[in-house]
Order: sequence, then structure tokens, then C-alpha cells
Amino acid sequence: MHSHVGQGEVVLERILILLLFLIGFAGIVGMRNIIKKIFGLTIINSAVVLLFIVEGSRIGNSAPIIDAEIGLVVDPVPQALMLTAIVIGVCVTALALALAFRLYKAYGSFDIDEIHRQVHRES
Amino acid sequence: MSGRARRILFLAQIALCVLLVAAVLIPVFLSSMPWPLSARDYLQANGLAESGASNLVSAIYLGYRAFDTLGETIVLLVAISGTIAIIAHGGAVLAQGYGLPSGTASEPARHLPPKTRTELLEVVTGKLGPVVLVFGVYVMMYGHLSPGGGFQGGVVIASGIVFLALGSRVDASNSLTSPENLVRIESAAFALLLLAASSGIISGSGFFGNPLAGAGLTPVAFIITLNAIIGLKVGAGLGFMCIAMLGRGK
Amino acid sequence: MKFTGRFTVSPESSVFSLVMLPLLGAALVMLAKAFLKGRMAAGMQFTAMLVGLFGPWLALLYTFPLVWSGLTVEGVIGNWSGVVGITFQFDGLAWLINALGYTVAGAAWIYSLGAGPRGPVFSSVFLIQTAALAATAMTADIFNLFVCLEVLGIASYVLVASSEKNGAFLASFSYLMVSASSMVFFLAGLFGLYRLTGSLSYSGISQALLALPDQGGGLAAISLSLIIAAVAMRVAMMPLYGWLPDAHALAPHAVSAVLSGVLIKTPLFALSRIMLIVPLGAAAAQLLGYAGAATAIVAVLVALSQKDAKRLLAYHSISQIGYVVCAWGAALDLGMDTMAGQHLMTAAFLHAFYHALFKGLLFLSIGTSTDRAGSRNVYTLRGAASTLRQSGERLPITLLSFIIAALAISAIPPLNGYASKIAITYSLKGSWQYWVLSAASIGTIASFIKLSRIFWPQPARIRLMATEEPSAVFMPSVATARHSGLPAQIVPGPMTDTSAVKRANLPVGISQAMLALACVASGLAAPWLYGFVLRLLDSAASLGFTSLNPGPALYTADNLLKTLYMVLAGFVLFRLAVSALGSRLLSLVRDRHRGFHGLFLSFAVGLSVLCVWLLLV
Repeated sequence: MHSHVGQGEVVLERILILLLFLIGFAGIVGMRNIIKKIFGLTIINSAVVLLFIVEGSRIGNSAPIIDAEIGLVVDPVPQALMLTAIVIGVCVTALALALAFRLYKAYGSFDIDEIHRQVHRES
Repeated sequence: MSGRARRILFLAQIALCVLLVAAVLIPVFLSSMPWPLSARDYLQANGLAESGASNLVSAIYLGYRAFDTLGETIVLLVAISGTIAIIAHGGAVLAQGYGLPSGTASEPARHLPPKTRTELLEVVTGKLGPVVLVFGVYVMMYGHLSPGGGFQGGVVIASGIVFLALGSRVDASNSLTSPENLVRIESAAFALLLLAASSGIISGSGFFGNPLAGAGLTPVAFIITLNAIIGLKVGAGLGFMCIAMLGRGK
Repeated sequence: MKFTGRFTVSPESSVFSLVMLPLLGAALVMLAKAFLKGRMAAGMQFTAMLVGLFGPWLALLYTFPLVWSGLTVEGVIGNWSGVVGITFQFDGLAWLINALGYTVAGAAWIYSLGAGPRGPVFSSVFLIQTAALAATAMTADIFNLFVCLEVLGIASYVLVASSEKNGAFLASFSYLMVSASSMVFFLAGLFGLYRLTGSLSYSGISQALLALPDQGGGLAAISLSLIIAAVAMRVAMMPLYGWLPDAHALAPHAVSAVLSGVLIKTPLFALSRIMLIVPLGAAAAQLLGYAGAATAIVAVLVALSQKDAKRLLAYHSISQIGYVVCAWGAALDLGMDTMAGQHLMTAAFLHAFYHALFKGLLFLSIGTSTDRAGSRNVYTLRGAASTLRQSGERLPITLLSFIIAALAISAIPPLNGYASKIAITYSLKGSWQYWVLSAASIGTIASFIKLSRIFWPQPARIRLMATEEPSAVFMPSVATARHSGLPAQIVPGPMTDTSAVKRANLPVGISQAMLALACVASGLAAPWLYGFVLRLLDSAASLGFTSLNPGPALYTADNLLKTLYMVLAGFVLFRLAVSALGSRLLSLVRDRHRGFHGLFLSFAVGLSVLCVWLLLV
């Protein structure tokens, strides 16, 4: 699958995945809207999933399903691990969104600083 | 401190944060170490014989590493009950469990407003629902042979359930989309999954072992069973969550 | 295998019943919720909780002879191939962590019967959390550790949010964002290790790393630090503790007890399994030990400044985990195959165990008292003892529990905290950590003198300084009291329904009495317990402690004198803290700006410091 991919393109892929991660991380840290923070969490999760799948698929050229015509399959372990990681990521996102919903109902804002201010005033 | 100075300080902190993380991650993300072959080679040689599944990903997540999958199912279970409990009511969040009391502060209302719920939506989703359900069952049951499996099939089943719920006329919800039944399916499937996971003790292969491996039966039957159970559980759980979010909690 | 006719439970099965029984309980709770109604459902739920929380004790009893004789139950889950399968390891350490977890979880559940939260979702999530603790304690596979930590995490986000407070949603959200992001960094570290070694089990990783030319070089160091930083975030050590105070202070009391008592320690001891065997593990542990000492002293100073009673306790949890991490790091640095390392690890575990008992007790007793009194403000609440009496507590169990727990955390003999703090400081004598930890102990004493004032009788006139207003957060009765000009303390708290309070008294009293007795008993039996833990921990390294080693002598003139000096110093510090200048300084500490991004900044800084440290050694 990847045998024709040149070394330069491989490096470019890695750099793009890293950039994706950093964009997500900057979103988590820098965005004031908590929904955007949750987006950031989803993005960094996807970046790591991509990294596992892309890097793990360089050693073979067919899907990890044993057929009659047998070539070298890609590494199935990262795929199975990422299946778990994706489901866990989705679950955490769902819970985070539910919490954001409640925070919005309680404080009328998605702005983390505003919520912090109101919580601080309460206590 | 003025607002402007504070803003600059804030941005400087963010930049520092991202730069530090980038510095740490560059060697990891850009590493060009050769990818290890040991697991792939082992699985390509023995995976089919040991687990019975020709889809090696299924062989790992329902065979070799089924314990991780149990953990993942549990995360999903907790997320669903937690999400519903947090969204559902404003008072004691967990105290009343799934029972979403009607008339709480939580909108949206029981029925979608007429604007979003057009005739077209009802007709299309109602007709499409059963097809999606069948496709979900296919993805679920053929996970050992082709891409798919319990989680993927379960998600498709959940969307089929949501289609059916959207398509049914106001309050004429059928028994598949009623929250009571979905909760029953989910909890029964969870109990079955635990039983299946423990069934290995009887045949001597221990927890999460394949009980059929020693019994002379084809070991793939165990993976199919687990796929079916997980598919039911995920489908019912996610379907219930979506229906609850649609405001049809009770 | 000779007795084939008899039904025998294999060690593997009995070990995994520690995980499966609580899960089975959770499944039963959900089944009861889905299929049964009314009394039947409640009965089944109760039975399920008994099965899930007390059934594992049978398995612990059954496996005890094995671990006592130094055997380790290990293998691959389901007897799959070790190349891909999940390896596990059940040794003395795992046995001890399980015993700790089920003790605190059982007591907290009994407490929740009286004071809530109740209901099927709480019960099932609580059981799932307990099961995840057991699984975390015995996993020897790095991806399985990830899954276990995620289960623990998601259960605790839900449990923290389950109190009826708006602030708890923010606490839960911050906790979720920080810990879910750190788990993504964990995955990145896992990627690095898998790329280097092609293995997921601890032993496979360490063997492959040792076989590499420069033991994996920079990539191994960075991957390891990513994983350690993610776990350290869960343990809440310096500088990664920012999420903890809110989460632990705003959770329901029973949940706070479990979170502070067990949840922050289990990942630490689970981490020691991998740090013991990988290259660079000892170096990382050394740095973490230093961070632990810093945690102990910084957190206690912040604790001293708090006005919310439960937040004060939460900061003390951070401080006490600092003691544990300090001794734990020093132990791993020395290596578990040395005598000194064994003694330090024993001291670390004992302090973790004793802390779980007395901090659980503190959360429960302070929770009960502040609920009944309707205020959590340390500066203004007085006369909580008489409020407790008025609410129908004939025996002053809550008050006694608080006294015992406060004396224990202040390391007053003969309670258990004294024994473990002596054990930690004895092993560290002469190093700078010794002085730091001693200073932190003085702060602890001062801060608990301050906290104990809420039980002192009501003064004739209430001083209301500008900074010392009663907290009106979650206590509507306090708010109304303030508006009507009445002193807040006279008005009964939210639990005005006396019959409900009376019904709650029994389980609340029982759970507190259990933990208080455990504190006293473990204090009296401290030398014996020391030998017990030492021998169980030794099962892996087999230095051959066949007889029970009582550990360092407890009641020497030196130690007692030191305790006396520290109590006196604590009094002085307390007087300073409540003086005009002291309270102004402390209010600066208390009201310092804490933004959300600060949590991530501290994570980034901590991570890069650890990376640089590992790259330089």
C-alpha cells in the first residue's frame, strides 16, 4: 500500500499529524469556549489514532484479514488498540459535552473564564 | 494589571505550553525507527488457528485482548449512564437513575417541534430504519471475516433505532424504541457479556479464555457470540442515549 | 492437580474474581433496575452491592496463603499467547492494594446508605470503579493499564458530578479535560515504546529495551516520561495537582473518601511495576521522589489557607500523597532488591494505607458535621459538636471519629499516622527530604488545630471579618440565615427532616466507627503490620524476611520528643496563621488566580522537566 510512498512524503505525513496534534492541544489550552476545548480533545485523540494506524500500516500491503491470496498484512495490533482508544475517546467526549450542557444551564455561558468567575463568586 | 497586559501574558503562557509539548513530541511523532514485526509475524502465522477469526483485528480485540474490550464496554456503559443522568435532571443527578422524570427543567420537549420534524423526515427515516438495522446486524455478525464487529455494528444498529424513533408518528413509539426495552436489552447484554467472559473457567482456559478452544468446537463461535452480545449492548445503549437526548426519555 | 475429583478454584480464577465480582454486582444492579420494581429491585440492588464489595474478601482470603508464601500468580489473561495477550501479575503488592481498596469502598458504601448518594446508577458506577481499582493493581500490560485508568477516570468524573452542586460540574469538567488529555499523551508514549519494542507487556518492553544498542536512547526516555507524566497527573503530585481540590471537595462525601483514599494511590503503585524493570525507571523515580517532598510542603501551606473544610482536606490529601510519593520514589531509586528500598516501600505503602483510613474518616466525619451544621466555612462555623448532638446522635461518634482521624493525620502516638510517618522519616534520616517532610508535619498539625475549631463551643459573639463570611454556596439555609441577620450556625442545615437524619444516623455511625476502630487498631498493631507488609512486598524480590520485622522502634524518647516539639511548633504556626498578618498572607495564597490553562501549563512544564531529566542522566 505504501511501498511507492517516498521518504519525503513519509516525513511530511508525520509532520502533518504532529501539526494536527498541536492544533488540537492549542485549542484545549487556548480556547475559552468549552465546546471548542472539547473539539481540541477530540482532535488530539484523532491525531494519535492516525499516528498509530498510519505508522503501523507501513510494514505490509494488505488489510489484516487472512485470505487465500496471502501477502504481508499490516500490523493488526495498532488497529485493535485504536479501536479501543476511539470508543473510549467518544465516550469521554459524550460525557464532556453533557457536562458542558449542564454548565451552560447553570451559568448561561460556555466561556471558561466566565464560569470560573461565577463559581469563584459562589464559594 | 491591565486587560491588554493580561491578554499578552495569557498568550505567552499558551505559546510556552504548545512549544514545550511540541519539543517533547517531535522525537516521538517524527521517529523513523523501523516498525517492529514480531506481533504481525506471529499473528499472520498463528492468529487464524488460535482464534478462528480471519479478521486479525477481531482476533485481537475479542480473543487475545478481550479483557481490554471488556474495559472499553464498561467505559461506554458508564459514559451512557453518566451522560443521561447529567443531562436528564437538574437535581440529584444520579439518585434517580435512568428514570427521566417528565416535566423537569430539561428541554428539549418530548416531541420535536414541528419545524424540524417534517413529513419527509418521518417517511424517509421510518422506511430507512429497518434497512439500517439489517445492515447493522450484518456488520455485527460478520466481524470475524470482514471489517466490522460488535462496536461498529452496534453503532449502526443504534442509528437504525434512532431512525425508527424519528420515523414513528408522534408518541406511537414501537417497542424497539421504547427506553424501557432498550435499558433491558443493554443490562441483559452486559450480564451476558460477563458470563461469556467467565465461561472460560469451566473449560479450564481461565477468565477471558476461549471456552471452545479445548472442547473440540471451532473457536470462532466464541468470537461470533461476543460480537453479537457487544453489538446488542452498544446498539441498545447508544440508541437509548440518542433517544433520551431527543427528549423522549419516558 | 491430583485431586481432580474435587472442585478446585485455580489461583488465576480466584484472582480475577476480584475484578469480576464487582462487575457482576454492577450487572445485577442494572438488571434489577431494568426488570424489577419496588422492594424487589431495592433488595436485589442491596444484595448486588454485598456481592460486589464484600464477596472479593473471600477471594482475598483464598489467595492470601499464596502471596504470603511469596508466590506470584502471573500469566496471560485467558491463556492466550504472550506476544499479543495481556499479562497480569498478582503479588503481595496487588493483594495489599486490593485489601486497601475494598476496605475503604466498603466503609464508603455503608456511609452512602445513610447520607447518599443512592440509586442504581451510583451503585453500578461505584462498583465499576472498585473493579477497575482491582484490575489496575494487577495489570502488567501497558495498554491494559491505559484502559484501566480510563475506566477509573470516567467512573470518577461521573461520581464527582453526582453531587448536587453546580461547582461540581466545573470540577468534573476540569478533571475530565486534564486527565483525558494526559491519557492521550500516555497513548503517544505507548506509541513510542511499541515502536521501539513491538511489545505491550512490561517484561517484553523492558527486555526489548535492554537489548537495544543504547537502551532505546532518546525515544525511550521521552516515551517513558510521557507515560509517567500522565500517571502522575492522576496521582496529583507537584505540579500536576490543580484539578484535585475542586473535584475532591465538591464530590459527595462517600465518593471523596474513596477518591482521596484509594483512587490517587492505586495508579502510583501500578506505575511502580513498570518503573522497577525498565531502564531509566530508577532515575525517573528519583525525580518523582523529590517532587513528592515538594508536594508535601507546598500543599500543606495551601491547605492551611483554605476556608472551605472539605477543600482543606483535599489539599491535605495532596500533601499526604507527597509523603507517599517521596518514600516511594526513594525506594524505587534504591531498588527493591535492597534492604533500604524494601523498608522505604513498606513505609510508603503503610502511609498510603493509613492515609486511606484516616482521610476517609476525616471526609466522612467532616462531611457529616458540616452537612448538619449547614456551613463549611472553617472561619465562622463553631459549635458543630452541639449541632451533631441536636441532630440525634446519642453517642458522639462523629466527633470522636474526627478527633481520632485528626490526631492520626497529625502523627500523634499511638495512632496509625504516627507509625507510618516515623517509618518514612526514619528511612530518610539525614537527607533534605527528612527536614522538608518534618516541616510539612508541623503544617499539618497547625492546619488541623484550625479545622478542629469548628467543633469548639460557640463563642458569645461571632467575629465576622470581611474575609470570613459564611459560605453561602450550596447551603440555602445559610443564605437565608444571613439575610435574616441570624448567626448561620443556629439554623439547622439542609437536613431539617429529623426522621431522615435519624434514619441516616445508623449507617453513618457504623461506617465511621469502622474506620475509627481501624485507625486505632492499625496504630496499636503498627509493628506487626509493618512486618506483614514488608513480607508481602518482599514476595517479588525475595530478600527472605521470614520472621516479622517490626520496623523502626516507635516509642523511643527521640521520636516522642520530636513529636512534642512538632506539636508545639504546630501551635505556634496556628497562632501565626490566625494572626492579622498571617490571615492576610493566607488569603493571598487562597485567592491566587487559578485559570483553566494553568492546569495544562503545569502539565507541559512537568512533562518537559521530566523529559530533560531522563535525557540527561
